[in-house]
Amino acid sequence: MPKLALLDIQGPVATLTLNRPDAHNALSIAMLADAHACMDELEAIAERPESPTVLVFTGAGRSFCAGMDLKEVIIESDPTLPQQLLESLARLTFRIRNLPFVVVGRVNGAAIGGGCGLVTVCDLAITHEDAKLGFPEVDLGLCPAVVAPWLVRKVGPGRARKVLLSGGLLSGAQALELGIVTATVETRDQLDEAVERLVEAEAAGGRAALRATKELLNTLDGSDDLDILLQGAKLSAAVLATEDAQNRLKARRK
Amino acid sequence: MIRVETIHREDRSIALVLLDRPDKRNALTPEMLEALCEALEHAPNSHDAMVLAGEGKLFCSGFDLSLCKADPSGGAMRSLLTGLSRACTIMRRTEKPVVIAAHGGAIAGGCALLGGADVVVSDVHAKLGYPVTKIGVSPAVSAPFFCLNVSQGAARERLLLPELIAGTLAHELGLVHELVDTNEEVRTRSLDIATALAGKPPHAYAATKRWLNTLEGSDDSPLIKLALETSLSLTGGPEEQRLLAALGL
Repeated sequence: MPKLALLDIQGPVATLTLNRPDAHNALSIAMLADAHACMDELEAIAERPESPTVLVFTGAGRSFCAGMDLKEVIIESDPTLPQQLLESLARLTFRIRNLPFVVVGRVNGAAIGGGCGLVTVCDLAITHEDAKLGFPEVDLGLCPAVVAPWLVRKVGPGRARKVLLSGGLLSGAQALELGIVTATVETRDQLDEAVERLVEAEAAGGRAALRATKELLNTLDGSDDLDILLQGAKLSAAVLATEDAQNRLKARRK
Repeated sequence: MIRVETIHREDRSIALVLLDRPDKRNALTPEMLEALCEALEHAPNSHDAMVLAGEGKLFCSGFDLSLCKADPSGGAMRSLLTGLSRACTIMRRTEKPVVIAAHGGAIAGGCALLGGADVVVSDVHAKLGYPVTKIGVSPAVSAPFFCLNVSQGAARERLLLPELIAGTLAHELGLVHELVDTNEEVRTRSLDIATALAGKPPHAYAATKRWLNTLEGSDDSPLIKLALETSLSLTGGPEEQRLLAALGL
């Protein structure tokens, strides 16, 4: 079975690719496990002098990440699956954020719900103007509790409140206006060039300076707080298990 | 001076809570804030969402300073500050959506009210801000809410500079979430947003709002209490009395 998350390291630049293109890279427990395995590798080499300066985070195919895999959050056989998935996602976001590399999101298409949460974990992110991003969780009767801390840190509490309580989707251009992404390009085919330019600029910077700065920023904004994310995973799983949320998810699957 | 109308839209019921003292630019009195708190507390029991708006040319021009000037003991100012803090706290804690339609202007205590809302709508020409230090009043009471909506640097500037800013800048800073071109459009747009928010699954909306309150610390009553006490500590003092007395009211 092909790996559902791929890691490629080329000198100062590592690339982590979510690799379920047929499912728009929807977050499944198996894909998250493979992403955690990539984190193991990255953490193991993090302190080596030749370790990367930049991690590019992207999705295979035409989507970045379509959010939680509905098959695993509709409670049928195993009621513990949603909690497992959400806790794994919470831990993954924590590990990505606390890598000592500058993480650049190459948001190559839809980034929805937890997928958009992964964008907000990145230090920098680029997408195209007509990409679909956003947090439609409340529309589905869900509470985006795992991603909320990251969005609050990214755009501030006031804007995060408006975005998360309003649900729906945003264009790449709107995501730029809100500060969810760092930059946009007009069309998807311009994305690679823009990411390459950004990565080159970052990789050329002082490695120790970038690491120290990122570590300080993580301390200042509370990114080193795993407990709040695990608390969020529990809350999110509890809301997800309600009859209303389950009915809405089932209707969505149909 | 506080009026509540029920607006039925689609199959939802929106409480339109109105500051209704247009001849005084909706200047807040202690009685108005008391009635506002009561309306904000009770409306969620019978409505799906709330829109707070003002009658007349602007949303709210702040406290009725003629009452403060006439009360050298500082009692009126203390009632106003306490009522304002309570109104913001009630808006934050209610689990139903709260939208503020800040048309024309939201000044001083009127601007402070914006901090309690989930969504604030205003217009490009509206005037907003906290020009209160020049009358010897500390805007500390609104700081815990204000700092959530704008960056800490911008909050420091806006709370210390006694000047008003236009709706466009307020939107850029994050004090206003949605901006429309004219003040006539503000209420309609606010009702549209409230209707949309009222259509969200209520338990998901409530859980998300509670979680955001926890994350941002707006359920941290010691901080809100400290902010109120900071503003209260100056009431009735010589500086406030001197500056209020100099006002041509």
